[in-house]
Amino acid sequence: MTPLRAQVLDESVVAVLDSAPDAMLMVDRGGLIVLVNAQAERIFGYRRDELLGQKVETLVPQRFDDKHQAHRTGFFGDPHPRPMGTGLELYGVRKDGSEFPVEVSLSPIETADGTIVSTAIRDITDRKRVEHALQQKNVELERANLAKDTFLASMSHELRSPLNAIIGFTGTLLMKLPGPLSAEQERQLRTIDSSAQHLLSLISDILDLAKIESGKVELDLQPVVLRDVIAEVASSLRSQAEAKGLQLSARLPEVITPIVTDRRAVRQILINLTNNAIKFTQKGSVGLALAERRVNGSLLVDLSVSDTGVGIKKEDQARLFQVFEQVDPSSTRRFGGVGLGLYLSLKLALLLGGQIHFTSEFGKGSRFVLTITGKR
Amino acid sequence: MPARILIVEDNQANLHLMTYLLQAFGHSTTSVMDGLAGVAAIKAGSFDLVLTDVRMPGIDGYEMARRVKTDPATQKLRLIAVTAAAMVGDREHALAAGFDGYISKPIVPQRFVAEVDEYLPAALRSNTKGEGRES
Repeated sequence: MTPLRAQVLDESVVAVLDSAPDAMLMVDRGGLIVLVNAQAERIFGYRRDELLGQKVETLVPQRFDDKHQAHRTGFFGDPHPRPMGTGLELYGVRKDGSEFPVEVSLSPIETADGTIVSTAIRDITDRKRVEHALQQKNVELERANLAKDTFLASMSHELRSPLNAIIGFTGTLLMKLPGPLSAEQERQLRTIDSSAQHLLSLISDILDLAKIESGKVELDLQPVVLRDVIAEVASSLRSQAEAKGLQLSARLPEVITPIVTDRRAVRQILINLTNNAIKFTQKGSVGLALAERRVNGSLLVDLSVSDTGVGIKKEDQARLFQVFEQVDPSSTRRFGGVGLGLYLSLKLALLLGGQIHFTSEFGKGSRFVLTITGKR
Repeated sequence: MPARILIVEDNQANLHLMTYLLQAFGHSTTSVMDGLAGVAAIKAGSFDLVLTDVRMPGIDGYEMARRVKTDPATQKLRLIAVTAAAMVGDREHALAAGFDGYISKPIVPQRFVAEVDEYLPAALRSNTKGEGRES
């Protein structure tokens, strides 16, 4: 049989085929190779004249031989352009017997001698290697992330145990069980106690954040009477406010319709916001309030914490919710603590399907509002 | 009259704290550091109350409760779980496992003895309103 190139292709077409980046073969109905371009010679390691007139299965690993022939017959039964073996891993085999991954597209060409199939073959060894490397990387990243979560969880437990012993024995000393204390000893023990409590709450915040970020927080959605939560938070933080000479008030409506939400999360957000208000207010008051409003027919509940404290400068307001960021770096020493609580609160609010907004005027005070939808 | 209390706890510092507080308020305590030793001590001694950690090496608190509560000789003994409040469902789990009560961890020194007293008959309670309490 005569190679196709002699019959139907002039020199310029052959030159175009030879410069193509993909290997190209043309195969007749009988499965014989009738055209080979330069790239095909390169990737398969054969000379052109070694391939012309050979069965195309020469270039397919032996184990795919039967299937390949069947597919070839199928293609001639319904010839239209398409990629070969979509979703399958395809391989070519070189003259030296080595295999390599390929991507193949097929299109039928009508000639005077009948339909032949034009085949473009791309060696995808490099792409496969990159894909494989990426997959490996992903597996490693997942593993590292899991290890991080486990580490955080176990560290937090490890850190808490000794800290609880410190808090516990500071407590027995302050109870004067082992013996009387001088005023200065008592003052120092109270500092140990409040520092240890602070450290404990930071550790809890870090663990909570890690849980939220790894999607491990499960909300416990129950009907919650929000005014009770606010009253509880107000009474647990009142002594702290009064110790600074601040007044802590809670303005609560008579309505006590429960809202379906996660009590613990709401409580934690309110505690964080109220703690911050107390921390950043030198004189005046901190006020908690609960209000309902309707927007486009749906009920929204606002839980707000207002203070008469230092306020936040306009230019600092945008980055307020970023982790570990306290607005004025020099204030860290004055007020203590990192800006973890606010970030954690926002994350929790989003988890509840809510939001935290604030308005603030520098030097006059701030108002933070947790808004949640009032599902009943 | 003070109560005889067995404490099962694998953390040395916690054990020290609980022992110290209970003794400071007049109770007498025996302590062991794992569940098997706990079961053995319960069989050998006579206690008014057992306070036990839940997560421990060897057999855990739940298994300990099961063994104590299925043995006719010991099933009437009051068994209290002392476990982390952070674990959601722990309370229910503890009660379902046969415990008679639950005290959350970390223990609060100012409250602990009063919490323990609640599980004791009136005659065996300490005088927690008495001397030494923080005002």
